[in-house]
Amino acid sequence: MQISINNFTKTFDGTPVIDDMNLTIRDGEMLALLGPSGCGKSTTLFTISGIHRMDRGQLMFGDRDVSGLPSQKRNVGVVFQNYALYPHMNVFENIAFPLTVRKDNKADIDREVRAIAALTHISELLERRPGQLSGGQQQRVALARALVRKPDVLLLDEPLANLDAKLRLEMRSEIRRIQLETGITAVLVTHDQVEAMSMCDRIAIMKKGEIVQIDTPADMYSNPRTSFVAGFLGNPPISFLSGIAMENSFSVAPIKLRVPLGVHEGIADGTQLKLGVRPEHFGPEGDIAVEGKIAFAETQGRENLYDVALADGSVLRSIQPAGRNWALGEPVRWFIDSKSAFVFSNDGQRL
Amino acid sequence: MRTSSPYRANLLGLAFMTPAMVLLLGFFFLPVVLTSVFAFTNMSTATGISGGSYVVTGNLLRSLTDEGLDAKTIKALRQSSYIIDQAGLEKARTAGVDAKFITEIGERLKDRSFTSSSAFERELKTLPSRPTRVRDLKIAASAFEQSVLNVRYASRGEMEAALSHMLENPPQGAVEQIATASYTGWTWTTENFKNLVIAPDTWRIVGNTVFYVVLTLAFNVLVGLFLAITTFYLPSAGSGFFSILWLLPRITPVVLYAVMWKWFTWEDGFVFNIAQDLGLPAFNYMKGSVASAWTVVILVNGFVGASFGMILFSGALKAIPVQQLWASEVDGASRWQQIRYIILPHMRWPILFVTSYQTLSLLSSYEQIWLTTNGGPGSTTTVWALEAFKTALNNYTGNLQYGLGAAMALILVAVGLVLSIVYLRLFRFDEMMSKPKIEF
Amino acid sequence: MTRNFAAWPIILLLTVLSLPLFVMYLFLLVDTFSNTAPGSLLPNEFTLEHWRFLIDPTITGDVWKPTLTTFLFASSMMVIVVSVSATAGYALSRLALPFRRFVLSGIMVMHAFPSVTLIIGVFLVLQFAGLYNSLTGVILVKASLMLPFGIWIMKGFYDAVPWEIEMAGVQDGASRFTVWRRIILPQVKPGLLSLALFAFIDGWSEYMLPRILAPSSDFEVLSMYLNTVSDPNSSTYNFNIFKSVGLFYTLPVLALFVLFQNRLMNIFGGGTKG
Repeated sequence: MQISINNFTKTFDGTPVIDDMNLTIRDGEMLALLGPSGCGKSTTLFTISGIHRMDRGQLMFGDRDVSGLPSQKRNVGVVFQNYALYPHMNVFENIAFPLTVRKDNKADIDREVRAIAALTHISELLERRPGQLSGGQQQRVALARALVRKPDVLLLDEPLANLDAKLRLEMRSEIRRIQLETGITAVLVTHDQVEAMSMCDRIAIMKKGEIVQIDTPADMYSNPRTSFVAGFLGNPPISFLSGIAMENSFSVAPIKLRVPLGVHEGIADGTQLKLGVRPEHFGPEGDIAVEGKIAFAETQGRENLYDVALADGSVLRSIQPAGRNWALGEPVRWFIDSKSAFVFSNDGQRL
Repeated sequence: MRTSSPYRANLLGLAFMTPAMVLLLGFFFLPVVLTSVFAFTNMSTATGISGGSYVVTGNLLRSLTDEGLDAKTIKALRQSSYIIDQAGLEKARTAGVDAKFITEIGERLKDRSFTSSSAFERELKTLPSRPTRVRDLKIAASAFEQSVLNVRYASRGEMEAALSHMLENPPQGAVEQIATASYTGWTWTTENFKNLVIAPDTWRIVGNTVFYVVLTLAFNVLVGLFLAITTFYLPSAGSGFFSILWLLPRITPVVLYAVMWKWFTWEDGFVFNIAQDLGLPAFNYMKGSVASAWTVVILVNGFVGASFGMILFSGALKAIPVQQLWASEVDGASRWQQIRYIILPHMRWPILFVTSYQTLSLLSSYEQIWLTTNGGPGSTTTVWALEAFKTALNNYTGNLQYGLGAAMALILVAVGLVLSIVYLRLFRFDEMMSKPKIEF
Repeated sequence: MTRNFAAWPIILLLTVLSLPLFVMYLFLLVDTFSNTAPGSLLPNEFTLEHWRFLIDPTITGDVWKPTLTTFLFASSMMVIVVSVSATAGYALSRLALPFRRFVLSGIMVMHAFPSVTLIIGVFLVLQFAGLYNSLTGVILVKASLMLPFGIWIMKGFYDAVPWEIEMAGVQDGASRFTVWRRIILPQVKPGLLSLALFAFIDGWSEYMLPRILAPSSDFEVLSMYLNTVSDPNSSTYNFNIFKSVGLFYTLPVLALFVLFQNRLMNIFGGGTKG
């Protein structure tokens, strides 16, 4: 089911949290709301679920206006960060709860619960209490409970935050698998770009109550609209150089760096600019030479990570395949791949 | 766009709050209001609690004389007169006086009046069908007696009419004055507070109260602290024994607790016997001397309250990171230094809390004192709350002065209210009032 | 804790300080089973005669009727306090209410406020309501005076239940009432149990309110019964019998205390988080 949010505004105790937001979640897609804490992503999620009330705006489930309806009348499934399983009920009762309050008959409940338990691979846990389950198992129960009554939309609030690294990898693909198998529309709230990129069809990046960009993970990575987006996606993160426009080039005078602006011609000389260079676009190969010294080196096994300090003190990050290992303090002359670098105006807009 | 559903939670909230609100309004709010209202009345057992009536009594006449009402009016009020009217004849009939005699009285003495019983009886004796026995004659005569003395009138109007009927040419305002004074119900007054201020006892009791609160509080806090710290250092079996022992007074019903103290301090009691064996002064310590009575009062209450401090302080002690204590020991701190520099600084808030909380409850407590020394010997251990309680609800003369008692209680209520609001501010309880997170 | 310090001086001081309590409670127990010669401290014979009041009503009057009355009194008061606090505490913790802040601060003031000062006002209220001298009146008063405490305690327990559980219930389609009844209430069971125990013990021990608000009614609670027995002017005056009756009266409380000591500990602290 398609979910659309129109002109949504929300304040808490006079502090604006969301300002005039518009967002459409397509039927059957999994969308990530990605952003730093306090950006309004959870507020948006809880508004869709019916916990928060909109100050202004409209929320549509398909062609149904649900803005004024409480959660109970919205048919939304939510997986909470701490799973919020009912501690006094066993797994079966937890999953069956949405059906029992709907007063389904016993045979139906039993069938539905077993079917969803099979889908989420917890059939053998039905008699256990939440306290006897591992984090990953609790996660699966929470998913099963959220899905059992076939909601219009599934909302996931930082679902992997409480899991250890190994389980996180496992549940990442599990959640995606279950979402694809059920074909449900889903919204994932996270501050972890890896999660967002690996699990979702599209990502909406939020900052201070606004959606900065909404795109597929690949497009967003290769074509960020602002320096904030460019900085948020990618691990290790992008590095930025500050400079000015000079004769159709990005120029950092003290180190005599000039990167042609290419298509962005006609920028007045002297305009403050920022150049974003991803680690994979700075290294021994490329077209624009930069001299510096290795200021930091980290071995990650398959790859090595370097910080190269330039003469003016700014730093460029680089990721290189293991093999030729540079030592700390070693002087290097490396190259920026100018076609892949992003140029931003001083206020962060991509040029 | 709003539908009716957003208010569902509110309705449930209202339904959930209603029973509590009804009970709290009825037995918390209303008593406060009534206490404040009746503090400004002279309500007592004599006046009753609902309305009153109008009666001129012998006592009233005496006090009216004191107030300077003229002697003639007083005399007239004290006297009875005999008037032969229809009402008197009716009364005589129901009293069973011979019908023939009544008819004669009606015919011959109609509308005559007599100012004394002897004159009237002399006149009656002249009638032909007069009864032979003097007693019957007196019954007949009394039927015509008219007096305001000790007659109960339901309204002020009736009383004033009766007074005007009785008094010939009363002085200006006398009827109103008598009628007002004759009201037996309660009236509005600020006398309670004036009397409290001028009564020498008041200040003695205030002094007693301060003495009692300060000493008991000191006992509670110091012993509570001592218990918490010692049980903290003791092995768990010992600390368990002592904490349970000190909790016992708190869960023992107050009547039993009070009598255990009586057994302990009374004549022939435990301490009495020991003192006798040792050749020390042995007497009823609870009531025998002022000093011993105060000691008992403070110990009785102190032993109950110490466990409150003990529990809170123990909780605070357990919250001290144990590494700090180890570190101090490695640094060579003595026990006293450890307590002084590590433990006590952590206790500042709990001590302040226990002090404020206990001040309030001690100010208003009187149950234990009432059941042990009952404020004695004399009124040396009487505190404000006990005096208020006795004045209003429990004295031996039988005249309970609700108004005065309410005035005394009102002062406590005001002090309690101010203190509790101050404490709530002090401990920032309002930070606990977060908003509901589900907005539908 | 540590072996750095000598323990005996504080143990000695602690023992001296605790001695009066220890003596009183020890003799409370011993005297009910023994006789002591006048002027002597130690008992000289074992006897069960002080317990005969249980089967022989001629000694102190029938003890079982007051026991039953006290049980009724304490349990009805407990039921009122627990049920009203359970609902009101939830409303204040979780539901949107008009004047919520005001009501909440009012209840906190009442919680700190010494309710005994209201006894005169309460007496007048009962007079006007026609509930003076009735068991119902005393139960209502006792329950009401305990309500701010109960509501405060329950609110604390509700506050500790994660909001997410409540939100999950609402998302699962349950009404707020169903969420309370089937999800939240089971989470605060320990709170309900502690409050119920505390209310019962408090009601069982109550003396003032029945004595003042229902002095001449037909029912008599154990505290009043005990006070009559202990009256020095009464013919049955006898410390040993009194102690037996007193111990009999206190046994249920002691039993509850021993069984649920840990639950009661924090509630005895006044239910405060200060």
